[in-house]
Amino acid sequence: MAERDRLVVYVVDDDASIRDSLALMLGLGGYATQLFGDAESFLVAFEPTWSGCVVADLRLPGMTGGELQSRVRARGSTIPFIIITAHGDVPAARAAFRAQAVDFIEKPFDDTQLRQAIDAAFALERRRIDAAELRRADAEKLSRLTAREREVLEHAVRGLHAKEIAAVLGISARTVEVHRTRIMEKLEVRNIAELVRFALAAADSPSPDRGAP
Amino acid sequence: MKVLRYLRDAALFAPCYGLLDWVSYIHPLGPFNITPWNPQPALAIAWMLLGGLAHAPAVWVTIVLADGVIRKFPAGYGVSVLAALALAAGYAAIAWALRMLLRPQPNLRSLRQLTLFVGVVAAGTVVVAAAFVYVLYAADALPPGAALPGWLRFWVGDAVGVLVTAPLLLVVADAERRANLRSLAQRGETYAQIALVAATLWLIFAGLGGDPSHHFYLLFPPLIWVAIRGGIAGAIIAIAIVQLGVVLGIHHRALQTLPVLELQALVAALTLTVLYLGVMVEERERAAESLKESLRLAAAGEMAGAIAHEVNQPLTALANYGRSGQMMIEAGRNAELGAVIERMLAEAQRASEVVRRLRDFFRQGATRLEQVPVSELLEAVRPIAAQAYAGRAIALSIDADQDLPDMLVDRLQIELVLRNLITNAIEAVEAHAPGRGQIAVTARRDNARHVRIVVSDNGPGVSAAVGKRAFEPFVSGKPSGMGLGLAVSRAIAEAHGGTLEARAASHGEFHLVLPTRADG
Repeated sequence: MAERDRLVVYVVDDDASIRDSLALMLGLGGYATQLFGDAESFLVAFEPTWSGCVVADLRLPGMTGGELQSRVRARGSTIPFIIITAHGDVPAARAAFRAQAVDFIEKPFDDTQLRQAIDAAFALERRRIDAAELRRADAEKLSRLTAREREVLEHAVRGLHAKEIAAVLGISARTVEVHRTRIMEKLEVRNIAELVRFALAAADSPSPDRGAP
Repeated sequence: MKVLRYLRDAALFAPCYGLLDWVSYIHPLGPFNITPWNPQPALAIAWMLLGGLAHAPAVWVTIVLADGVIRKFPAGYGVSVLAALALAAGYAAIAWALRMLLRPQPNLRSLRQLTLFVGVVAAGTVVVAAAFVYVLYAADALPPGAALPGWLRFWVGDAVGVLVTAPLLLVVADAERRANLRSLAQRGETYAQIALVAATLWLIFAGLGGDPSHHFYLLFPPLIWVAIRGGIAGAIIAIAIVQLGVVLGIHHRALQTLPVLELQALVAALTLTVLYLGVMVEERERAAESLKESLRLAAAGEMAGAIAHEVNQPLTALANYGRSGQMMIEAGRNAELGAVIERMLAEAQRASEVVRRLRDFFRQGATRLEQVPVSELLEAVRPIAAQAYAGRAIALSIDADQDLPDMLVDRLQIELVLRNLITNAIEAVEAHAPGRGQIAVTARRDNARHVRIVVSDNGPGVSAAVGKRAFEPFVSGKPSGMGLGLAVSRAIAEAHGGTLEARAASHGEFHLVLPTRADG
């Protein structure tokens, strides 16, 4: 869970004073910040594993904050964006929201507005990270199962009884019972209902570390 | 008082009416006032239209008197009084209709007003002519078979008279139109037009010989010229001149029989054409004017947006620093406050710089010319450039001819132009690797009276099309620019009697040509 605590506010603004003052204010407020003067240098440095949020000016030299957001999305990151602008620009705001910007703030803004937006973004990130952690844990648990146990799990989830599974797999019902107990132990579930829920959640979330279903 | 004023107006109106009646008593039908040119109803209608229908009785009395003085009551006193009543009532009805329809002010400014005016006059005079001729016919005063041609002649005479003369009177009664006329009177072109119209009239009636109506079309080109250049006011004056010319022409050739009715019908057609043309020209001008106005408003809106952006940046930073200072005080980190306050002051300075630049921009017409050595102006570029490329490695070279004459310029304004050009150049070479950007400023004698300052850079340059557009306001290659720099710079250069151009080239090149001291 260490990732939760490494949330960073990435500030992308071509105005040096804005960057500097934001870094100072956010730093005093207890946020970690990283500063970029334009979209290109941000994209060069960017890693999809970064978490936190991006505070980007709508009008950046060479690329708008909205375009930057689309480029980051294209690289598989869902890091939240907060777009700030000195132009109350409705079409730009609409485009930003469509690309899942968390907030759209007009300059000059007061700091509580910005902090609320950042906190909301961080809350999103934490939920995302927690969910990812959970998926990773589930996948890890699933990987503890043997091949035969996985077969048994698959049939059990489909609603087959021990005897039916035994018939399908050509083993004794007693052996199926033993497998099922072992599966529940390994997956840390207490009853069949929880087992089914676990298996369905694992099937729904496309986790990269998970083996073939 | 009211009565006195009424009598005074009537005393003014009656002689004028009588004079017009007398002048226009040409080519009559028998001894009656059935002539192909009747301008006097226009006077009566205009008087009642502008002054009110209360004048109708005075009009009636005047018509009777004029008939008596000029024609000695050709059908007897009683018939004359009755015929005058028909005329006065008819003209009053026309005036009333125009008063109702041409609201709020009868000034013939729009196509609608002109069409209503023409329609009411044409229809109204048909009825008036019928009433007048019927009174004479009923009294057995007309020779047999003269009623119908009389009606036609009277109608044409009245209609043409009113169409030509009433607009003239309305123009003279309208203060704004009088100003129009005064400005026309100050143009040499107006006199050329009058001379051309007069010459054409002479050609038609004397120069070419034969039937004048055959050559009447010659009047169209000069009158189109008048209407296009002078609008409705010019058109009305020109028409009056044509009518006068036609009357004089008829008079001049009084011994020959001329198709006077036909000529007057031609005058009517010409009048309609030229009046409509004049109104359309004016409507088009008004539309262009209001378009310009809305463009100005749009530009002001753009400007306000640009200013908001420029001022918002330092304000935002100021607010951030201020909040930071508060947090430092809360945390007891007072020692660091000094640095924050310093930055706040810098931001306040930056905001006031934006405001100052705006003031410079709006300070138009306040150009203060002074003699400035070229070298001094160019040296002023160095600190500007150093400030603008803060930290970026760009090579700047400045080179001026020896013995250039002093320039006669507003130093602050030209520095603003140079600042804009340098800033542009720096932005243009930004794409280069550090140390590769080059900017050169040169000054050469252009001719005896001008110095050419060229600011060039090794950036990408502009195409011919972009070079033209670059000077339009709010066209900016930068996401954060106001897009006004070059537009303002060119305005300043031109206010100095100089020029500013972007040369289409593979590298950036701006040419600023400025005047030198007169004896330079």
